Amino acid sequence: MKVFIMPPNSLILYDLVERYGHTPLSLMGAISKRVMNPEIESPPINVTPNDVKKGLKYAGIEVPSGIRGRLAIWGPLVDEAEASIIMEDAPFEFGCVGCHRTDEMVRFLVKKRKIPLLEVRYPTSEDEAKVLVSKIKAFLEGLK
Amino acid sequence: MIKIAQLSCGTEYSGVQSEIEKAATTVGAKMVFPDVEASEIDKAVEEFGFTPTSAQLKLMIARAMAITDGRYDADAVFISSCFRCAEAALIRNELRRYVQEHSRLPVVTYSFTERTKSGQLLTRMEALVTIVERKELLARERQVGLTAGIDSGSSTTKAMIMRDNVIIGKFWHPTGEVVGSAEEALDKALAEAGVKRSELEAIGVTGYGRYTIGKKLNCQLIQEELTTNSKGAVWLADRQKGEATIIDIGGMDNKAITVRDGIPDNFTMGGICAGASGRFLELTAKRLKVDITELGALADRGDARKVPMNSYCSIFGIQDLVTSLAAGQTIEDVAAAACQSVADQVYEQQLQEIDVRQPVIQVGGTSLISGLVKAVGNVVGSKPIVPPNSQYIGSVGAALLSSGFLEGHR
Amino acid sequence: MPKETETRMIVIAPSSSVTPDQITRLIHTLNTEVTVKETCYGAMVEGGKEEVARVLDAVRKLDPNRIFTKVRGFPIGDARRCRAHHGSRPGFTQLEKEWECLSLIEKGVASAEKGEVTAEAPRRKRITIDELKRIVEETE
Repeated sequence: MKVFIMPPNSLILYDLVERYGHTPLSLMGAISKRVMNPEIESPPINVTPNDVKKGLKYAGIEVPSGIRGRLAIWGPLVDEAEASIIMEDAPFEFGCVGCHRTDEMVRFLVKKRKIPLLEVRYPTSEDEAKVLVSKIKAFLEGLK
Repeated sequence: MIKIAQLSCGTEYSGVQSEIEKAATTVGAKMVFPDVEASEIDKAVEEFGFTPTSAQLKLMIARAMAITDGRYDADAVFISSCFRCAEAALIRNELRRYVQEHSRLPVVTYSFTERTKSGQLLTRMEALVTIVERKELLARERQVGLTAGIDSGSSTTKAMIMRDNVIIGKFWHPTGEVVGSAEEALDKALAEAGVKRSELEAIGVTGYGRYTIGKKLNCQLIQEELTTNSKGAVWLADRQKGEATIIDIGGMDNKAITVRDGIPDNFTMGGICAGASGRFLELTAKRLKVDITELGALADRGDARKVPMNSYCSIFGIQDLVTSLAAGQTIEDVAAAACQSVADQVYEQQLQEIDVRQPVIQVGGTSLISGLVKAVGNVVGSKPIVPPNSQYIGSVGAALLSSGFLEGHR
Repeated sequence: MPKETETRMIVIAPSSSVTPDQITRLIHTLNTEVTVKETCYGAMVEGGKEEVARVLDAVRKLDPNRIFTKVRGFPIGDARRCRAHHGSRPGFTQLEKEWECLSLIEKGVASAEKGEVTAEAPRRKRITIDELKRIVEETE
């Protein structure tokens, strides 16, 4: 099954989803399709002003362009997802996922889809890490 | 290669990163991202004292500190975030202050939309590069030899002839065809000075038409208006040393520049809304059926508070003024309200991006409208200095700086 | 080059004794057409999707619970993401943070493999206003 991960660029979630037999829907995957496109219009990640307009499907014009541009890429991933894992409190939401407002909106979009969803918290101790991985494993193994 | 450190959020996802880089490359600079370790980020945020929720803004803070601590080498700083993002706007401004307090690097801030193009950023980037690359030239305080300066603005073209730090000829007129207007202004200024074009030792040009004119007239100096106007303003106001703020409300765009010893260290440019420009006052004068040169004196006698204005817009705002006239307000009050409207908008849109330092020097054609100067004084808290020949700042700056190219002169 | 290519990051958990060099050497012995680049955190591989998957299987076997992987948006050495060219991009900081966390995740993976059941600690709740009031009064 296609599992949307949040943060969408997380190494940990990407690895675990694959490790337990599913296909992660990640930001890197989406970016890869864009940057390998021979017609690069807007380096580095080839998000064009037109993409930002497409983001209007998810958020109005009064929403900053950076949010609409992000939603233009993540939104379709959420639309495509058959299940999702959201990790809260991740201390590493840099890079592509640096905008907290976008993160909140994407979480909401996932919840609205009513697909199987696992919400976990970033671990702060060994015990929490064990809980996290076992929950993820059980969730993924339970997906048909 | 000049390294401009980019502290930003949202540029790639707004599709404007390539435009930023294009603008930098055009002026011989390159955008760089200061390296920071993940472990430094929390520490930097704690030291800064403002903890944004968005991680990218935390990274911006850590990167700024890497520059101010000298751990990362950059020549100038470009701080940018999405237009309308409140969280980023707070960080953008506070980081700008932090960088200015903790370094001597020139800084410019910019809030972009997906429509931002490299052209809009070019003058800003060019100014950053000029400040870094031409420090020695910008430190020049006296004009030497016989030089001319041309300022090709969107509304008017100005020319100035200077000899040994004295203005000997000047002329201004509305801009028509760019090169033709410049040549005519230059020739008229030369005639007033009583010298021939062939006698000129150097010509400097600034303003919108600078590249075209510079090429045609073989100008020694072709320079953006931010640094040129700063030099012109401090020369005219005799404020070459110390700090000052220069406000130039132009025909199409406005500039607010803070300077230290005549060299800009922070500036903003705006040009989105005609309601915040000299054009608004021209339209007002037309509706009041008075000449633009009379508007200032009328406004001086009026009371802006008597005219309710619901909009800064050059269409709806003017409509408010017309309605007030119909309701029996005097043209003096309406003129004052128009001036206050422009000043208020400059204050809200531009002076928020810099820290106003006294004295404020108001320049440009609109500084001749006394009512506008008074209105600007209302918003900045003290009456701005309007130096003689204040509409000629660009051409004075260009004449002064171009004399720096004369060999054998100091 | 095969039609569908993929670039992968291979990240070694800090607690593993496998070195980036070992990974690249192993990949070289596999006699495949994938490109490999050693990095500070492990390696990057690039090539046909199926071939990359085969390489990853082999690499994971070196230390299954301590070697992690994710797809990478940009091809290896792409100037648009080159650190030497512009300085590090924000994603690098994220990778550093996730790398630190792998020591915990590794323990989680091992525990899940064994089927251990770990009880989740209850989340801390805010105390009630009444409780706070009582504490304030007691402290006075």
